[in-house]
Amino acid sequence: MQLTAIVTGASEGLGKSFALELASRNIDLILVSLPLSGLPQLANYIRQNYQVRVMEFELDLTDASSYTLLFDQLNEKKVVAHILINNAGLGNWDWFEDRSIGFYKKQIELNVITPVLLTRLFLAQLDSSKTAYLLNVGSLGGRFLVPRKQVYGATKSFISYFTRCLQLELGSANIRISLLSPGGINTKPELLVLNHSLKGVARATITEPHRVAQEAITGLLAGKREIIPGRINRLLVVLNGLLPGFVKDMIIKNRLKPMLKV
Amino acid sequence: MKILVTGATGFIGRSLSLSLAQSGLKVVALCRNTDHPYLIDHPNITPIKGDILDVPGLKNAVIGIDQVYHTAALAKMWCRNKDDYYNINVIGTRNLLNAAGEAGVKRIVYTSTCGVWGPTIKHPMHEDDPRIDGFAIDYERTKYLAEIEARKFAEQGLDVVTVNPSRVYGEGPVTDSNTVGKMVSGYLKGRWRIIPGKGEQVANYAYLDDVVKGHIAAMELGVSGQRYILGGEDVSFNTFFNTLQYVSGMEYGMVKIPQKLIEAYSRAEWLKATITGIPPVFLPEFAERLKRDQKYSSQKAISQLNYHITPFEEGLARTINYIKKTCN
Repeated sequence: MQLTAIVTGASEGLGKSFALELASRNIDLILVSLPLSGLPQLANYIRQNYQVRVMEFELDLTDASSYTLLFDQLNEKKVVAHILINNAGLGNWDWFEDRSIGFYKKQIELNVITPVLLTRLFLAQLDSSKTAYLLNVGSLGGRFLVPRKQVYGATKSFISYFTRCLQLELGSANIRISLLSPGGINTKPELLVLNHSLKGVARATITEPHRVAQEAITGLLAGKREIIPGRINRLLVVLNGLLPGFVKDMIIKNRLKPMLKV
Repeated sequence: MKILVTGATGFIGRSLSLSLAQSGLKVVALCRNTDHPYLIDHPNITPIKGDILDVPGLKNAVIGIDQVYHTAALAKMWCRNKDDYYNINVIGTRNLLNAAGEAGVKRIVYTSTCGVWGPTIKHPMHEDDPRIDGFAIDYERTKYLAEIEARKFAEQGLDVVTVNPSRVYGEGPVTDSNTVGKMVSGYLKGRWRIIPGKGEQVANYAYLDDVVKGHIAAMELGVSGQRYILGGEDVSFNTFFNTLQYVSGMEYGMVKIPQKLIEAYSRAEWLKATITGIPPVFLPEFAERLKRDQKYSSQKAISQLNYHITPFEEGLARTINYIKKTCN
């Protein structure tokens, strides 16, 4: 059966890797991204290099009308999506007081409201006779407390709870739901000033986007509940479960010493 | 007309300086070391001591300059201090563009690389195609960031044209960043006897003379804020070594090294380099790249800059002659 996947935030970073990974698996694409983010170029490139159908939607997903607009248009074209990848998100690395209320509002809208509402509309259009797949992009940061990620980390904790709860609720439905919990990903370099200066273990937790996308799609299709890409990241999660709280606090404080305020 | 060339002792910058000087133009060659062995001695080339990380020195160097070719970069596979890539390629470019803008330079041609696209899937990459890979390779990441710097300056009104050479080969010194020169000279000495994987991986090879002419054409005909791929033929490793064998008349049995072995070796080399600081022969991010093609189309430069591609066989023959003459 020919599958069709929606990828949000598809024009850059991990979203772009998802689009390419799905195309290489012969899955048709519905790509959603902000206007002027290079989406038509990516869509054209995929059409030329792979044998898949690609639809593109240049939408601002913080705009409340965009969710229904997307699914209405798919419905009009008689296109059913079998896979939804809630990838679009807004990250940052700042002290809480250093960002405006407008920024946090947008971050919460894009990281929380958008995936919830898209999931709701995605489920409503499914044909229950065919297996559907939902992948929500969380973050390893949702498990560890990371200063300067206060709101971002909280939105990813929300995604983790939301996804695990849906897995329970829809346990007997014909849908596979996965939570992706990546560590740092070496994506858009202009956003990654920090990655330049990371050393040692911190550097080793950074993974390449095509690897993350590959592991994530493999895990999603296999029905894995949580996907943590990268061996070192998996090791960190195991250690996190074993170490007592005060030791973890010490490690985090020590690691973050250069960045913490005095 | 006075022209500044940064990276004048580098593989492209050196040949470019000579070509400009031979056409009668006055070239100021910016070098960290004015006694550098690769610096060309020519009455029209005036070496000036300077460094793109030294802002006051740069400001001094651009006084009275009409055109700048910015070819200076850190193009090695590895260096001890990782920050050098960012400092030289990104901050150095920003420094130069700042100084050139303030001094009223009329046009800057910035030498980027096809590495800003990296691997390809089926068709050769064009200027508008997206990058499909991550940024594991420091050189590619920092050159990508430097292009963003150049674009920002162009948007603010500075006249900057970007050129993107692919893997450049030709008549020039065999250095660390001249990977094709290293392979050819190694082969001629009977020392390079390996082909990675099945030898089917394709890369694009640009002949140095073409790339130099492409730079000069970009200065004359290029559009500010635009970029132009300066490439050559797409050639697989198998074709590369078959051509090398045929043109040089030297026949060596080649060994195909399995990809898995290359990967294991590259990880060992990475560990060695990380622990001891001894430069590695090869690194995992480059082993990964050996699985992918790197094909690029020079169509835009051909139609807009009258760019010409020398056939690979012909370019390689001239390169072999040069290396035979100079390296023995």
